[in-house]
Amino acid sequence: MPLEPIPIEADPRPFELSLDVFSGPLDLLLRLIEARELDVLTVPLSEMADAYVEHLANRPVPAAELADFVAVASQLILLKSRRLLPGEPQPAAATADEGPDEEELRRRLLEYRALRDAARQLGEWDGSRETFRREPREADLPEAPAETMSPAELAIALGRLAAIPEPEPPPPEVVAREVTIAMQIAALRQAMGSAGRVVLQTVLAGCASRTEISVTVLAMLELVRRRQATVEQQELFGPIVLRRIGSESGP
Amino acid sequence: MNDLDAYFEALLFIAERPLATAELAELGEVPRLQAEAALNDLGQRLADDGRGLRLQRLDDEWQLVTAPQLGSRLAAYAARQESRLSNAALEALAVIAYRQPCTRADVDRVRGVDSDYVIRSLLHRRLITEVGRRDSPGRPILLGTTFTFLERFGLTSLDDLPPLSSEAAALTALTADAG
Repeated sequence: MPLEPIPIEADPRPFELSLDVFSGPLDLLLRLIEARELDVLTVPLSEMADAYVEHLANRPVPAAELADFVAVASQLILLKSRRLLPGEPQPAAATADEGPDEEELRRRLLEYRALRDAARQLGEWDGSRETFRREPREADLPEAPAETMSPAELAIALGRLAAIPEPEPPPPEVVAREVTIAMQIAALRQAMGSAGRVVLQTVLAGCASRTEISVTVLAMLELVRRRQATVEQQELFGPIVLRRIGSESGP
Repeated sequence: MNDLDAYFEALLFIAERPLATAELAELGEVPRLQAEAALNDLGQRLADDGRGLRLQRLDDEWQLVTAPQLGSRLAAYAARQESRLSNAALEALAVIAYRQPCTRADVDRVRGVDSDYVIRSLLHRRLITEVGRRDSPGRPILLGTTFTFLERFGLTSLDDLPPLSSEAAALTALTADAG
């Protein structure tokens, strides 16, 4: 929209800003007012229209924010045009208009100024007044066991470990795959039988080797992963109950 | 310093997260109001005696932090290097701090410019957080400041924010009612 240069009544001395970046259209308008040492509370905002538009024309703002700047510019121009029109009704009547209201704009300006000033204060504090809290110690272990255990339990656990047959001496050649997870899954399914449940320890008791024990445990976990069974253990070292879920619907 | 103050001070010293008033009241086996009074008393004493620690409060939670005037000297020890916030980010942060809980639209309206990018950067820095949703069309997300915000600017609580000019404060209250 082409604008005729209209002489403005406010101080026409050239206005330079040290900063090129404005936080927004209200920031620009406020700085234009303050640079002229005018009072935000009383200055007719219509008088700022030319300075605002001129500044916008000479120092383009980021394209993404242009619309916001133009919105304020159009409000100022409308306010100015009202003043220039002969027989314009008193400003009080302007509120009835659907156009922008000078007092509303002034109110936004004042609100913006208060928060901008507070932001400046925060900016001065930034980096000089930080308070520090205790940081979690890196070396700390995660959650400790919920229950305390007696040394006797350790001895029992050791005894149980000793009862497990010693591993067979490693064969000199390639180890044949004796036990597979699939085999143990079949064994567990069979053990669950028509009741649909079995205590894992009873199956493990029938295992001939450590390998078979561990593969059976893996088979149990596989059944759980396939959602074909659930596992429950009420207490530490208690019986592990394997329970079939519904019918054979898994993959 | 009475026994309860000392107990709370010790609890907050070993705690690695902020403690709620209710939590402290339960630990101290005292009614909530008495716990709160003791905490306020503790905070006041720490400040009055010029100690190296302060009690920081956010909503209903408390934590012990170092005193703000030691900030720059401790920053070297803590090897903390925070990049300064831009003016736009500080403005958005100020709007949220004074008007919380508030929405992105509230920030846009006060600043007269889209604040989406700066708000995301403030969220990323954990200076603000989502605190709920406004019960209005679209149920927009409400934003509020965090302990990280209080820590960064050396505030013991939101009451420590720089006062807004009185006329503006009145305006803010007015527009807050309208919004």
